[in-house]
Amino acid sequence: MNHPEHLSLRGRRLLDRRNFLHTAGLSTAGLALTSLLAAEGLLGDDDVKTVSGKQPIRPSFSAENPYAPRESHFEAAAKQLLVIYCPGAVSHIDTFDYKPALTKLHGQKPPGIPAVTFEGPTGTIAKPFWEFKPRGETGKMVSDLLPNLARQVDDFCFFHALTTDTSAHPQGENFMNTGFTMEGFPSLGAWVTYALGTENQELPAFVAINDPRGMARSGKNNFGCGFLPAAFQGTDFNAKRPPSNLYRPQSYSGRTDKRTVELLQRLNAKHLQQYPGDANLAGRIASYELAGKMQTSVPEVMGISGETESTLQSYGVDSGSDLKQEYAKNCILARRLIEQGVRVVQLFNGSDPAGGNGITNWDSHANIAQTHALQAEIMDQPTAALIADLKQRGLLEHTLVVWATEFGRMPFLQANGTGRDHNPDAFTCFLTGAGVKPGFSHGESDQFGFKAAVDTTSVYDFNATLLHLMGLDHERLTYYHNGLERRLTNVHGHVVKEVLA
Amino acid sequence: MITNDTNSKTLRLITGVACAFLFLIPLLHADEIDFHRDILPILKENCFDCHGPDEQESEFRVDNRVSLLKGGDLGEPAVVPGDIAKSVLITAVSYEDSNLEMPPDDKLSEEKIALLRRWVKEGAVWPGQMQAKVEREKSDHWSFQPIARPRLPTSRSTSMARNEVDIFLQSKLDNEGISVSPEADPRTLIRRASIVLTGLPPTTEQVADFQTAYARDAEKAYAGLVDDLLESPHFGERWAQHWLDVIRWAETNGSESNMYRKNAWIYRDYVIRSFNDDKPYDRFIAEQLAGDTLGTGDATGFLVAGPHVPPATVGREPSAQRQARADRLDEVLQTIGASMMGVTIGCARCHNHKFDPISIKDYYSMTSAFQDVEFGSRIPEYSEDHPRRIGASELWPEIAKSRRLLRQTGPWVEVSLGYDELHFNPVETTAVRVEFLQPNIRVDELEFFGRKQGNQNLVDHLEPVTVRQNQNLAEANELHVLNDGEYGTMAWTCKSGKGNRERPWVEFAFDSPRSLDRMRISTNREDSLVTDYLTGLNPKGFGKTIVKVKTEDGQWQQVAHTGNIERNNHQKPERAAALAEIQKRLELLSEEGLKPSFIGRFIRPSNSYVLRRGSPENPGDEVLPAGLAELNGELGLAPDASGKKRRAAFANWLIQKENPLTARVMVNRIWHHVFGTGIVSTTSDFGKAGTSPTHPELLDWLASEFIEPTVDGRPLTSNGDEVRTESARPLSPWSTKHMIRLMVMSHAFRQQSLPRVDCLQVDAGDRLLWRYAPRRVEAEVIRDSILQASGSLDNTIGGRSYRIHNVKKRYAQWEVVDNHGPQTWRRLIYQERMRRVDDQNFTAFDFPDCGQIRARRPVSTTPLQALNLMNSEFVVEQSKLIAQRARKETGGDEALALKRCFQLLLNREPAIDEIELCTEISQQEGLDIVCRALINSNEFAFLQ
Repeated sequence: MNHPEHLSLRGRRLLDRRNFLHTAGLSTAGLALTSLLAAEGLLGDDDVKTVSGKQPIRPSFSAENPYAPRESHFEAAAKQLLVIYCPGAVSHIDTFDYKPALTKLHGQKPPGIPAVTFEGPTGTIAKPFWEFKPRGETGKMVSDLLPNLARQVDDFCFFHALTTDTSAHPQGENFMNTGFTMEGFPSLGAWVTYALGTENQELPAFVAINDPRGMARSGKNNFGCGFLPAAFQGTDFNAKRPPSNLYRPQSYSGRTDKRTVELLQRLNAKHLQQYPGDANLAGRIASYELAGKMQTSVPEVMGISGETESTLQSYGVDSGSDLKQEYAKNCILARRLIEQGVRVVQLFNGSDPAGGNGITNWDSHANIAQTHALQAEIMDQPTAALIADLKQRGLLEHTLVVWATEFGRMPFLQANGTGRDHNPDAFTCFLTGAGVKPGFSHGESDQFGFKAAVDTTSVYDFNATLLHLMGLDHERLTYYHNGLERRLTNVHGHVVKEVLA
Repeated sequence: MITNDTNSKTLRLITGVACAFLFLIPLLHADEIDFHRDILPILKENCFDCHGPDEQESEFRVDNRVSLLKGGDLGEPAVVPGDIAKSVLITAVSYEDSNLEMPPDDKLSEEKIALLRRWVKEGAVWPGQMQAKVEREKSDHWSFQPIARPRLPTSRSTSMARNEVDIFLQSKLDNEGISVSPEADPRTLIRRASIVLTGLPPTTEQVADFQTAYARDAEKAYAGLVDDLLESPHFGERWAQHWLDVIRWAETNGSESNMYRKNAWIYRDYVIRSFNDDKPYDRFIAEQLAGDTLGTGDATGFLVAGPHVPPATVGREPSAQRQARADRLDEVLQTIGASMMGVTIGCARCHNHKFDPISIKDYYSMTSAFQDVEFGSRIPEYSEDHPRRIGASELWPEIAKSRRLLRQTGPWVEVSLGYDELHFNPVETTAVRVEFLQPNIRVDELEFFGRKQGNQNLVDHLEPVTVRQNQNLAEANELHVLNDGEYGTMAWTCKSGKGNRERPWVEFAFDSPRSLDRMRISTNREDSLVTDYLTGLNPKGFGKTIVKVKTEDGQWQQVAHTGNIERNNHQKPERAAALAEIQKRLELLSEEGLKPSFIGRFIRPSNSYVLRRGSPENPGDEVLPAGLAELNGELGLAPDASGKKRRAAFANWLIQKENPLTARVMVNRIWHHVFGTGIVSTTSDFGKAGTSPTHPELLDWLASEFIEPTVDGRPLTSNGDEVRTESARPLSPWSTKHMIRLMVMSHAFRQQSLPRVDCLQVDAGDRLLWRYAPRRVEAEVIRDSILQASGSLDNTIGGRSYRIHNVKKRYAQWEVVDNHGPQTWRRLIYQERMRRVDDQNFTAFDFPDCGQIRARRPVSTTPLQALNLMNSEFVVEQSKLIAQRARKETGGDEALALKRCFQLLLNREPAIDEIELCTEISQQEGLDIVCRALINSNEFAFLQ
């Protein structure tokens, strides 16, 4: 029988179900679906109550294939999402947010500076640690800390007036990546995967490429599924480390594995005969098929030996520190995943403090000149190469790229110190790629970069905008949990229309 | 009209100034405000569109006076006649709060704002509406209505009815024109009942015995099986797991560092014991809220089940500290709301609940009832007969004996877990001073005690005490944290500075004389009391100390010098020996006796206020401890009631028979775990946003039966409609086991799981229970079943959690070290339960991350589950062990060994067509490969 391709993924090769349904006297192949929809309908009343008053759109996915591609709410500018996340808080005023007033007031303590910030007493204003220069045709001022990214600013769309609700890293990471400062909420990637499924049925729908030094401070929260079904969590692997338990145990031969699967299929097929049309059972059968495919497709996508010398060079795979080289490989992996149609890729540039030797992320309470420089050396060239590569291959036409961090840093030093403390009231992130206005800056911080001043953008607004670019209405993409139709944006958020192309 | 002179003058002045600028406006509204001329048009033009007769955004309308007095969702009156500061209407139109600016697009003119202010100030007169008063409307939502025991349905086909549960269910099926399925076969029955009741499948022998007994007398065999399973010590493990899910209990904090909670597992054991003992549910509630008053201190682990952000990682800004405290209390309230009340109380934190009769005032009244709860550790209070208590009671007299001996020869220092305790002879004084001998010190808390007050810190910041420190140091920071009742990384730190001979000291002056005899000092007490498995625990950053007290003539007199104590101990061996005795016993106490455990600690409750719009920076009216106003939550407590009293009173309110939520929520929860879906499918939300019950009468019948049991669950007589009067076993109220027995003795539970086309067409989701729908079992059942099959399961009930992670640095993520070795071969409920950490085996099976309430686990299927179950070392090893066991038990006969593997994993024998392939694979690849396939099969993973 000639099935459409996606049907084979559902394990129907095992069982020609349509035939079976006929023989069992069940003429409606839709029974399985009916049963599923009913199961989903258990969640919340028909007359759904939402805080926004808008009718939720709950993606209807089947247990048979939770990853089947699904329609967006409206025409989507972007089909895929790449988030480059920089844990530790990148200093906006030393990178993309140019504040000449800092140079003028360097060493002074003008009125309005609080006595105490997150880590303790405050010191005096410090000028940017790197020189700012106009870049590209737009002349956007960017510092020398990130020379490679600086070259591409004509393609970037900056948010300069972002504000967050917390000064602590884990809560800040939670907020950026899950929309809540608290524990246990689904990540952006999980929401998008839940809404849209994925195009490539042989790779995970959502991949989290953790830093070679380890996970960021919120750990799995940043790519977890929270209370969404586990199917939508990010799969954790990077260029150096495959997903856990991907490969067959060393003690088994390939034939052993094949025979296990053969027996398993036989057992499951026989079992399914008793429960014709049961989507949960069929779904589990299909998951083994997908797992089997992943055993080939994941090593394939992880392998970079086929990349050209010039590509490898452009990412910096052979230059600079070991950490940079490993991060560069992760960047290549990110591109390869996007190329393969993976729905969401989240790439981390930093870890929890214990993960590395010396510098582990962007946090820079002391000696920011050195710590930011070390971290930038790792991040700048490979990230710039990744974006350029995506662009050159035409992938940016349907991929939204987000460069993000959890907050900014203070325009003044810590008392008697050489570093900058956390700044939740102004920070910078940027977007590029599908649907985004290029060479544009939205919002402004005040003359010191101390507080957002013009077009203040909350994390809710930021996330609402990301969902919008993915073709999703942030007020309607919901999941019933513990009394509420939960959303990525809680009960807040406005799409920032100004940044849309 | 009576007006305040000064104010009307000011108003006139403002109006005058405004007019000076806009002199087009004639001098109207000279003195009197005319509502219809001056005020109503402002409201009509600017507010009615969203808050008028047609639309009431935020449940707020301004077209009548009562609505203004009542306010909207914010839960604050929009107008308080005469009080501008408290009138949100004025706050909003004045644009004083950037989060609440009305009208949102264009601010009213200053003149109009002034008019509104004046109108409010002068009493908000609305002619013709001055008599109307704000009245509380009773909710008409079903779950808030009293429970009344419904009659059994009369029109019914009762042929298949085993008990009352079936009568309700089948009458509904009758209405839909479908019927129940036939009873399942005995092997399915015992497997289903065993897994649902104990989380473990039956052993091969149990299946065989049951099948034999069933053939003899099916009814008796089944009833006996249910009795046995309910009495199994593994029953409590299974049902504790469900309860722990709901309250997202875990052994780590979450947030920064995700630190381990020392000895938190004693609460897990309490829950297991409670279910095993069939502790009446009302008592179960009371103990978890106020176990410290009931001899079950371990039960309060409930209150701190959720995640929290320790003060040390919040940052130094006081506002961030206040926010974090409010967040911690919110976690406490969510735990109670979701598990015991079935309401989403958290929705009322910033404004009135959008759907349910829970006001923001209710929320903060509830926080007041739990105002003394803080995340942390304490020594649990146990009743006299608790084994740990008995152990401890033998140790304390010994310690006291050694102390008496020491006292004769001067002060001494005892080193306890996390702090040093300096003992000296009781002394009465008006001030005490501690001098440090080293230049740099770090102290998180310093406490003084006297005999009379027991463990009450006499220099706590809430006591009438004045604190002073040496100002002549290079640095002296955060003195206020020294006696703030908070242990941890927030510490008083001093640095003398280079070449400075001054040393740190601190002085506490009392308002009247106090008797002191002990000082406790620590650098990071939280660490060693609260956490574990962390490198570098228990530092001491204070060195030697001298304690002095003020004499009546104002002189400082030394009462102890820890340097001298060391010399003294050295010189007098009998002292050293006595001290060694004390230390030995203290250590025994901390492991075997009453040990500090992360079950919450209690602080002195401070006053509670409504935090307007959820912000601790915006306190409103003071509130008293109370339950929900909708359910007569008044607790009659004074504002200064102790924390214990508050929590106990709240518990009493919850467990009153009249409380319509408590029993309904619990019986529904039990139903959910027995049948897979609750009668109300949203098991922790009985509010309007939740689902309606599919069988409201059955739910209420069960709830009344829970509170006042009348039937014993035995099968009905053959004609089915006679309710039995005499009872075989004594019936006790609030018995969880009674409820479970009623449900699993029903035909609904015993029926087959197979699909039927006619029924699928009517009720595909099986909400009416025409079959027992198959469902995937939880991570726990999969893992525990594998271990049981291989014979490696260590069946010990309770105790310290087995570890799979490393001992880590403070700022680092946990890493899995060994998730499969023999030390992990206990039931999964005993694996250390870490928030947001993936165990790389079973977390993928929708195991909760313990961040949010998990009233029901989603069931989803992912390729990662398949990879873990195919390739993990755990499965590879266990497959081998199962094969080995099968061989061993069948004496080398390969065919029997294969059969045995099927029995061990699936509780059945292989069918003929299965034998052929399995034998072939077993011969070529090994019997363990057959086991590997069986472990991965749908039959193994699904309850059916």
